[in-house]
Amino acid sequence: MKANIFEIKRFAVHDGDGIRTTVFFKGCPLRCVWCHNPEGLSFEAQEAFYAHKCINCGKCKEEGFTVLDCLGEARVLYGKEITVDELLPFLIEDKDFYDNSGGGVTLSGGECLMQADFCAELLKRLKENGIHTAVDTCGFVSKEALDKVIPYTDIFLYDLKAYDEDVHIKCTGQSNKIILQNLLYLDSLGKSIEIRIPYVPNFNTDQIEKIADFLRPLKNIKAVRVLPYHNFAGSKYTALGMENNLPETLPTDEEIKRAQRCFSSRNGNLDF
Amino acid sequence: MMRDILNDQYKEICWDTESGITPEALEQEVFELEKRFESRSKSFIKAKTFELLLEKGQIAVLREDIFQEKVNARNIMIRQRSRWWNKARENFKDMYEDVEKAGRTGTFVAYEDFGHTSSNTKMLVNLGFCGLIKQLEDAESKIDGITEKQKDFYDSSKIAISAMQSFCKRLSLADGITEENARCLKNISEKAPSNFYEALQIIVVYFYLHEYIAGTRVRTLGRLDDVLYQTYRKDIDSGLLSRESAKECLKYFLNKFWTMKVPYDLPFCLGGIGADGEEITNELSYLIVEAYNELNIHSPKIHIRVSDKTPGSFIKLVLSCIRGGNSSFVFVNDAITIKAMMKCGATLEEARNYVLIGCYEPAIFDLELPCTGNGRVSLPKMIELVFCNGRDFATGELVGVETGAINSYADFISALKEQIAYCINKALTYISTAEKYYMQANPDPILSAMLSPCVKKGTDAYDGGAKYNNSSYYINSIATFADSVVAVKKLVFEEKRFTFDEFGSILKANWQGYEKLRIEMANSTLKYGNNVDSVDDIAVEFSDFCAKLINGRTNGRGGIFKASNFSIDKCFSLGEKTMATPDGRYAGEPLSKNLCATTGKDKKGITGLINTVTKMDLSDFPNGSVLDFVLHPSAVSGDDGLNAFYGILKTYFKKGGMAMHGNVFDSETLKKAQKEPEKYKNLQVRVCGWNAYFVNLSKSEQDCFIKQAETTIC
Repeated sequence: MKANIFEIKRFAVHDGDGIRTTVFFKGCPLRCVWCHNPEGLSFEAQEAFYAHKCINCGKCKEEGFTVLDCLGEARVLYGKEITVDELLPFLIEDKDFYDNSGGGVTLSGGECLMQADFCAELLKRLKENGIHTAVDTCGFVSKEALDKVIPYTDIFLYDLKAYDEDVHIKCTGQSNKIILQNLLYLDSLGKSIEIRIPYVPNFNTDQIEKIADFLRPLKNIKAVRVLPYHNFAGSKYTALGMENNLPETLPTDEEIKRAQRCFSSRNGNLDF
Repeated sequence: MMRDILNDQYKEICWDTESGITPEALEQEVFELEKRFESRSKSFIKAKTFELLLEKGQIAVLREDIFQEKVNARNIMIRQRSRWWNKARENFKDMYEDVEKAGRTGTFVAYEDFGHTSSNTKMLVNLGFCGLIKQLEDAESKIDGITEKQKDFYDSSKIAISAMQSFCKRLSLADGITEENARCLKNISEKAPSNFYEALQIIVVYFYLHEYIAGTRVRTLGRLDDVLYQTYRKDIDSGLLSRESAKECLKYFLNKFWTMKVPYDLPFCLGGIGADGEEITNELSYLIVEAYNELNIHSPKIHIRVSDKTPGSFIKLVLSCIRGGNSSFVFVNDAITIKAMMKCGATLEEARNYVLIGCYEPAIFDLELPCTGNGRVSLPKMIELVFCNGRDFATGELVGVETGAINSYADFISALKEQIAYCINKALTYISTAEKYYMQANPDPILSAMLSPCVKKGTDAYDGGAKYNNSSYYINSIATFADSVVAVKKLVFEEKRFTFDEFGSILKANWQGYEKLRIEMANSTLKYGNNVDSVDDIAVEFSDFCAKLINGRTNGRGGIFKASNFSIDKCFSLGEKTMATPDGRYAGEPLSKNLCATTGKDKKGITGLINTVTKMDLSDFPNGSVLDFVLHPSAVSGDDGLNAFYGILKTYFKKGGMAMHGNVFDSETLKKAQKEPEKYKNLQVRVCGWNAYFVNLSKSEQDCFIKQAETTIC
């Protein structure tokens, strides 16, 4: 069994607790207008070209060229087929760092659970090695897919983009019915959950209160994080030859603080 | 605090010209004194010179400050020592010429070390000047059958310490001094410091006089939170001092050293375990860091010792200072350092009481005369020597061994080892020889009075009076070296794309006509710093080889040599003198720094780098090793970030790292600072064992930081 992944990021500190290594899986069922990982959208491998890095070495014009030959490292291949056995050593390499910081491994994407069988096997092996596991998911996956990884996942990093269905469709191209159902399901099983809400001006800023209301009765939400939208991904769209329609307006620090306060100032369940 | 007036106090000193004679007149008197005491020891002459300068030099008082120390007599004793040393060096002139050639070509350097000392500041604070004198008298009286030499030692030390005592009295009577300050100075001239303020004043005046007037580089104030704690506690408990007033006092104290602009910055040490194994970190440790951070200065610099027992809250306080831009700290791992000290012969209790000298060189407090800067060998240059049959490429001079033709990888490795052994042997022999003449130029009656073993034995620190009389030798740029060796292995001996000599010609031509090959080598995934065994094994093999050559070898003062594995900023100057290296480096470019990867080549980030570095047994580098980190602000932002930052430090130390320091910044900020320096005057960077303002660095150093910052993953 192989998965298609596009990046392994070490010393990831904002993808769950402690120092983590995050594995990014290729392919996503949603099309969020603000997506900052456009290289993770397609299920197929994609070549990108970072023109500013090109040193005109001419290697790419030679026969039998692969991106590995590019001397300027301007051509990059996003997407690599890999087995669990191949991947595991990369993840175990930094175990000392996980252990000394309360960290571990996070599966992300794209949407990692679109390759749920692989994830389940990988997570199982990570647990066998005593490594803390997190699954970062958009929630737009089948219940079966979730069931496969639940036994081996210590915490779900669960994205919520909107509460209102029409807003969700406008932002991501899909309904959020399954997403909300899956979240309730995970909560009912007592799994640890951290909610992550991208805050994107002109798109979902009116949803924060509604999300808070929805989350309030839940029992296992360990934290809610409001993540400020940023547009750093612009150059990736260009390099991939994709159209860059990223929103222009960035949130202010004040807005983020205010939104974050919705999840801490109320005397409801847990944090908020 | 009136920071402007205080900060400018050393820019233009208003000497009280009525109070004494000019430096020129003083120096004339010194010449006469030297003649008058021609028959006496250098130690005695030095003490008398010191006494003369403090008695007759002009003084200056700054009323706005709460500490006084100034006398107009800088450099006179340094010139005296130079005269003496130049004469002493005549005795081993031939050796000196060889070493000079090696230094000029960037092969290895070796020098006498009069620049690294540490004195027992705890003894100073507890006993005061009078107590130190009494201690000398007591020790003298206990020696049966005292020799002339010992008597001379005690005389000299007593003269030197009394000179400081009288000088405090002199300052207390100076015009313009505040009543409180006058009382403080008078008290310390008569008895041991009786409160926190007096304890700080005695350190200030001692340091200034020893460093600037006597010309001894005092390379640490010791474990300041330990040294000062008793008196601090007593004053707080009696109500004489509040936490806030203590902090204000500390600010004047710290700012004083800042204004002195001590070369390479003056360090002191906080935290870690004491001789009894209990943690030293206390209320004062926090207070000192807080005061320091609020002042926003980068000198003095602070060594933070970290044991299993050091409170996380203290380490996080320091980490948050670094994150906030005040990076003048280095963390040192107690576990590995204590192990390293014990490998050099110290007992457990002694080893636990180590301090850090200068940048990050461990030495035993009170018991060691740490000559921690005797020179270095440039490992990448050894590759040049093998390609050039022992010659410096630029000048053609023979600086190494003629290792001849290289026909196999095994040949290559043994030729490298031969070059290294030759250079280290030459250097250590030179240093050991020079050391036999130290007493002809650099006896130190002040220092010796502040090291217990010297006082007890009646023997000068530079005459083997300390319990540990060790010297040091460094290896330089292990990453450039390992990357280059593996490049040769692959290209010449595995893929056989060139013969050894053909590849040598390409390097000698500085890659001309072979730019694609150079890029291929530079981009190779076989780079130190990425947890790749085939490269890291070379670093391990050679660091071990060098450590064995250096460690334990006897020096010229009854001690041993201790190995170091760091470059400080010599990676730039040595790089300038080194031809192109097989790792894709052009001639003249910087070599790798400290334990770091070649700039920009640690593509796995900080975790991969640490995994590589800790494959070496760093307890085999008892004279220190250091890893620099550059982290992106986003990686350490918020509580998560601070915890991760702490996690990195903990992991490095658990895995056997010795010292770690670094910077948190993003490449964009640095680029802007390079373009518009006037807007970034306050941007500090951790350079080596010291900090600097980014805008004051050379272009090449700035570029290195930018490149490093670009590689950090955000």
